Amino acid sequence: MMNVRWGMSIDLDKCTGCGACQISCMQENNMPIFDEDSDIPKRVTFLDLMKVTNDFEGGKKYGEVQTAFIPKMCMQCSGNDPKNPHPPCVTVCPVVATDVGDDGIVSQIWSRCIGCRYCQAACPYEARVFNWWKPRYEGDFKQGLNSDVSVASRGTVVKCTFCSHIWKRERDRAIAGGETDINKVTYTPACVSACPTGAIVFGDLNNPNSPVYETRLKNDPRAVRMVHSIDQQPENERARRMRIKDYPNPKVYYLSSQKWLRDIISGFQNS
Amino acid sequence: MNKLERKDFLKLAGGAVAGGLVGTTLSGAPFNALQWLVEWTQDQYRPTGGSETFRQGVCSACGTDISVRLIGDRAVKVETANAGCPVCQTLIQILYHPERVRKPLKRVGGKGSGRFAPVEWSEAIKDISDKIKELRAQNKAHTVAAFNGAHNMLAGALVERLLAAIGSGHVYNEPCFCSLSAKAAKLTQNSEGALDYDFENSDYVLSFGARLFEGWGNQARMHRVLNRWKADGVKLVQIDTLGTRTASMATKWVPVKPGTEAYLALGIAYKLIMSYGKGGNLPELGRWPGINDFNPEKVAELTGVPAVTIDEIAREFAGARRAVAVAGRGGEMVSSSVGEIIAVQCLNKLTGRMGVPGGVFVKIKNDRLGAVRQDAAAQAGMAATRKAKGLDDFIKNGEKPELLFVNDANPVHTSVFGKDLAGKMKDIPMVVAIMTMKNDTARYADYILPSLTILESKTARGDAAVAPRYSAKHGADIILEIAKSVEGVAASFPWSGYADMAALVGVERRPQGNFNLNIEVLRTYLDMLKKNLEGAAEMPLALIPYEIPLVGNGASLSLPYVLKGVGREDFAFERLIVKMNPETANAMGACENSSVKLKSSRGKTASLKVHLTKTVAPGVVAVPMGFGHCESTRYAEEKGVNPLEIMTANIDPESGTADWWFTRVKLS
Repeated sequence: MMNVRWGMSIDLDKCTGCGACQISCMQENNMPIFDEDSDIPKRVTFLDLMKVTNDFEGGKKYGEVQTAFIPKMCMQCSGNDPKNPHPPCVTVCPVVATDVGDDGIVSQIWSRCIGCRYCQAACPYEARVFNWWKPRYEGDFKQGLNSDVSVASRGTVVKCTFCSHIWKRERDRAIAGGETDINKVTYTPACVSACPTGAIVFGDLNNPNSPVYETRLKNDPRAVRMVHSIDQQPENERARRMRIKDYPNPKVYYLSSQKWLRDIISGFQNS
Repeated sequence: MNKLERKDFLKLAGGAVAGGLVGTTLSGAPFNALQWLVEWTQDQYRPTGGSETFRQGVCSACGTDISVRLIGDRAVKVETANAGCPVCQTLIQILYHPERVRKPLKRVGGKGSGRFAPVEWSEAIKDISDKIKELRAQNKAHTVAAFNGAHNMLAGALVERLLAAIGSGHVYNEPCFCSLSAKAAKLTQNSEGALDYDFENSDYVLSFGARLFEGWGNQARMHRVLNRWKADGVKLVQIDTLGTRTASMATKWVPVKPGTEAYLALGIAYKLIMSYGKGGNLPELGRWPGINDFNPEKVAELTGVPAVTIDEIAREFAGARRAVAVAGRGGEMVSSSVGEIIAVQCLNKLTGRMGVPGGVFVKIKNDRLGAVRQDAAAQAGMAATRKAKGLDDFIKNGEKPELLFVNDANPVHTSVFGKDLAGKMKDIPMVVAIMTMKNDTARYADYILPSLTILESKTARGDAAVAPRYSAKHGADIILEIAKSVEGVAASFPWSGYADMAALVGVERRPQGNFNLNIEVLRTYLDMLKKNLEGAAEMPLALIPYEIPLVGNGASLSLPYVLKGVGREDFAFERLIVKMNPETANAMGACENSSVKLKSSRGKTASLKVHLTKTVAPGVVAVPMGFGHCESTRYAEEKGVNPLEIMTANIDPESGTADWWFTRVKLS
């Protein structure tokens, strides 16, 4: 039985926007290559490094406006009850191409996908992308493909899976080494291991010794979750709303000392 | 023979069709066909498997240890373990790029036509060495020239050595902070090295437009430094015209009028001397009557920084235990005049921060290759060399070379005189480019010699992570081969391969406390700056460049994964974006997403898309660098515009490099 619930926290105060996480993700997950990769509608990436400013705040003048970067990947939603997870995308998939594991990771099997794009519409974070074109790996670019991740075909939806293939690799290695407790298997997704300032950290949300212990993160005044304004509601109001509706309850936490940045991430003023 | 009845015929035919159908169904053919249909529509490529191994290497871009994951003999991932620079992650794409030069290429079309045909190494080397021999025999050794890419340590040192042995001093580096600050150190500290700030031990950092976390210096080091600064509460004061990420990460962002960083430095120096008693460390500056022009009120007017802020910075800078003032505007591409670097260095001297922990050191090239043996032809050539001050000076004013080496550099794209250079290169009898992928400069070459990528190069510590591909050779090996085939030059190159030399070339940090202020250099610069800033009324806007992380000077745009990361606020729908303040847009009749062209006294850009943001000062337009390649693989070509084509081309008399930071423009 898996007791681990993988989660992530991203300290935006430490993020310089260098892009190492993004390139690392693309290399690890065999991102398709097109001649026109600068063309945004065609672009297929799992991790979007968004550049944001607080231009939108009225009354802010030149000299007060700031720039920040937000790395955004799949938030690995769990729904209101993490013990019985209901991510919005999994609920709508008619062919079980996307599912949620007992470690909370929302998986996606490219070759099972029929391209109906329901999940893409259901995703609150635009974390899913559709392969409109056949991925091309001109010439020797094929040599650099990771054999642990299948190449997605045209007409399928793809997304970040917290690099769960690396977990499987580590699990097999641990089992081969005689480890019998699956909860002792740890791993690091590609974006996390590439981050040169250690802004992105990864671990078990349930474990008090983990850098991403959820109870601690929830009480951190710098922490905020993406488009999840229910977090800012008082306890009883949150419970009331959760009885009415299934909220995404994502497993990625953003940390920032800047209020404006927390506001645009959570979609809620005064977060 | 019985006659076949119509009815029987139909029965037989029906039976045959039914039998055929049953047979086909049972044969499995429809299932196979369906399988093929699925495969054809999905058309999935399956990467080949193999056993997993890890090989150790070093990223020469940042000096970080890397671990390369291989599946069989394919390198699939570079692991950096929370260190390194973004370049480390792109190494696989560089290694397997389909447009890498695979064999030596010889020009077959007209100069600049970009048409090449593969030739054998022996043919290329013979042709090049024959040219060197011919020039030396004609007493024209000094007409050989070379351009080195920035930070190209070993191959760069060998190119310099090759030219010295041939008999020419015309070796020019693509400008970077090291080459620019080395000129300043030469003038003020009589040192042969570049400035090296001891960020690891500083407690107060005053940056004059150096975008420290956006490609400036060694990115891996700057990331480590950032973590230390955060942990130790080091104060970073960023003086910048644009609200860059570095400005936002700084403890304090001091917005400054475009191009006036040097004025602000002198204003702070004035306060340090007059109010904080630091004049004793640099009496020359205090004695200089011109310093009185930089009293806080005057500087506030020049720079837009309030007098009270100037006083506050001066007080903090004087009071900090380990403060350092950092010069070098920009990210990967730095544009600062020597005069401006000297103005900033004055602050370090005034507060006694030269050669002390947390202050500024000098980084000297540690070249143990030994003396070059020059024969008579080489000595004559060296005597005849009239060396230009720097790369831009050589392009603009230098004599036309007969043979030009371009070692991993791209001045046609990175110099403001790129177009002039392209024109001149058409008339140079032989141009030899050494690089992994064709770039804008290689287009005008006669020979392109393929060099190794980082993952294929052996390090000083051991073997390469990946075996060399195609028939590429290390840049230093190519130079060795050329040198060894020329009599009289070969004697200076006793090594058998680049691995023998890797440990012989390095840098060494030295504390150097001496500083002689050359007032004349400063005054000349200030006059030039004043003239440039004033400008004419018909050019009301200031163009200030910025760099996108990863893209930098544009060399990495040829990598699809880098292109995928370019944000929509920099380059969208095949259009480069110019950023301006809503106030500017109002005054100029532009709006979000409208198309404009920028016009300076040097020319006009192609159309750009407007993005409104208050990170840019009113009266300023900001354009990203690195775009607008004419030749740089199918991924980077014909994307956006290169703003350098219209940027200021005033050559700094000391560094011989154009100071393009500030350009007067108008919208058209």
